[in-house]
Amino acid sequence: MIRFEQVSKRYEGGHEALSQLTFHVAPGEMAFVTGHSGAGKSTLLKLLGLIERPSHGLIALDGQSLAKIGRAGIPKLRRRIGMVFQDHRLLMDRTVYANVELPLVIGGIAPAERARRARAALEKVGLLAYERQLPASLSAGERQRVGIARAIVAKPALLIADEPTGNLDPQLAVEIMELFAEFQQFGTTVLIASHDLPLIKRMKKRVVVLDHGRLVADIAAQEVL
Amino acid sequence: MPSETNPVDQQVNAPPRHTERQRPRKFASWHEHHWWSAGASLRRLMSRPLGTLLTVAVMGLALALPLAFYLLLGNVQKLGDALGQNQTVSAFLRTGQIGPAAELIATKLRDRSDVAAVAVKTPQQGLDELAKMQGFGGALHALDDNPLPFVLDVLPKPGLAANEVEQLVADLRAVQGVDLVQDSGTWRQRLDALLDVGKRAALVLAALLTLAALLVVGNTIRMDISSRSEEIDVLMLVGASRAFVRRPYLYAGIWYGLLSGLLAVLLAVVVELALAEPVSRLGAAYEGRLQIGGLPPWLLVAVPFAAAVLGWLGARLVSAWQLRKAA
Ligand SMILES: Nc1ncnc2c1ncn2[C@@H]1O[C@H](COP(=O)(O)OP(=O)(O)O)[C@@H](O)[C@H]1O
Ligand SMILES: [Mg+2]
Repeated sequence: MIRFEQVSKRYEGGHEALSQLTFHVAPGEMAFVTGHSGAGKSTLLKLLGLIERPSHGLIALDGQSLAKIGRAGIPKLRRRIGMVFQDHRLLMDRTVYANVELPLVIGGIAPAERARRARAALEKVGLLAYERQLPASLSAGERQRVGIARAIVAKPALLIADEPTGNLDPQLAVEIMELFAEFQQFGTTVLIASHDLPLIKRMKKRVVVLDHGRLVADIAAQEVL
Repeated sequence: MPSETNPVDQQVNAPPRHTERQRPRKFASWHEHHWWSAGASLRRLMSRPLGTLLTVAVMGLALALPLAFYLLLGNVQKLGDALGQNQTVSAFLRTGQIGPAAELIATKLRDRSDVAAVAVKTPQQGLDELAKMQGFGGALHALDDNPLPFVLDVLPKPGLAANEVEQLVADLRAVQGVDLVQDSGTWRQRLDALLDVGKRAALVLAALLTLAALLVVGNTIRMDISSRSEEIDVLMLVGASRAFVRRPYLYAGIWYGLLSGLLAVLLAVVVELALAEPVSRLGAAYEGRLQIGGLPPWLLVAVPFAAAVLGWLGARLVSAWQLRKAA
């Protein structure tokens, strides 16, 4: 599903955020990327969404090299990936429903189908009752769940999340992670960047550890203690 | 957490299908998004009425000014034409010329294609006219001899251009036996020249004001886009194309243009109505020979339409510039 081969990323005027990173993620797998702040976790996810381009190396998604995707192809690629952000990135002047529906509008799905899918996604995260509300009236955890509903509504093959629980208290964080694990059970590939080690350990999934842009450990799910 | 037995739930997480059956829907969805964008951008404009009103007012005024000029120049032109139409040129013959000679010259002049009529005024008629003028009667009777010459009142063909009238006057001056030609029509040449200057100035002004309207709508859209940069980022992150992101702003430009075009037409009609009363009095003074024109109906329709195109253009230029780095 995801292939990183000798990937390096140097920001303009900066030092190397990722260096010679090689790892694969199989379809339907769920993995955490962890490491200290500045280790390169966000950079790794940005390369997948083509928010940044690698300086060296090859990244492939579903066997397709991202280097071959030009500017015009970026929107199409992003529609295949569900993205969840630490700060939820919801449109605050639109209802919960409108936020979740957005990827379907962009994808050109017919209105009736849109409504059905958006409601199903909201129900999945347990927020169907809030569909008419504005995000401002929700708690931090609820907003994050709306963000997740938006990420999965278009049925992406890959779900990536950058510190999705960074703003949440531990109990809510566990609930969110369990939600991601549920999506994995239905076949979605899930890649989550997080520095919350206790939480990661609890989830018993594969863990990729970065340090100063290098891969220092790749722990299989069954080896996580 | 929601139950997992709900079949609709499972739909969401059904294995992803990239074989899209959305192809036939592509046009329909494109169409739908246009409607959606048009409606959404109009609602957005209405949600901040003051800002919208200001933009529309400035744009509308900028577009109304050329229309007002058009109206004014057109009417001055018509007024000039009307005034010029019964402008006779008087040719004073040398004193001592006798009646038959005067008639002969008149006959020759009547053959000219640029002459509508020639009236021969005898010295006696001239004297009678003067006598009719208040206060002259007594003084004239004191004269034992009639000092007035024969006068030919030449009426140029209606619709002659100022320079054609000028040619006629020059020809008259050259006629044997003509002493003096009094042409009160030189004002018309000056008016025509002035109108030419006015038309050129109005054209330049119209171009500048149209540019100003373009800048106003462009700047409004620019501010709109920069105040929504976060939203734009989010849209791009969830896979919106640049065209999708731009569409509501292009429609906003169209709405601004359309509304300001309608305002401009409204203002021009107000100017027209304000002028109607004095103008009709002026027309009456010319016994209906003066046909004052308003704005042609096609223009009233064309202006909002053209303004909408202008608004779209402004939005297009600005959004292309502002979204060039968005990805
Ligand atoms: N846009 C950027 N420009 C320059 N340097 C950056 C940029 N983004 C991240 N970096 C640097 O790259 C390194 C990795 O950052 P990041 O991927 O955000 O790490 P993490 O998410 O693990 O905290 C850091 O040293 C950071 O300062
Ligand atoms: Mg980070």
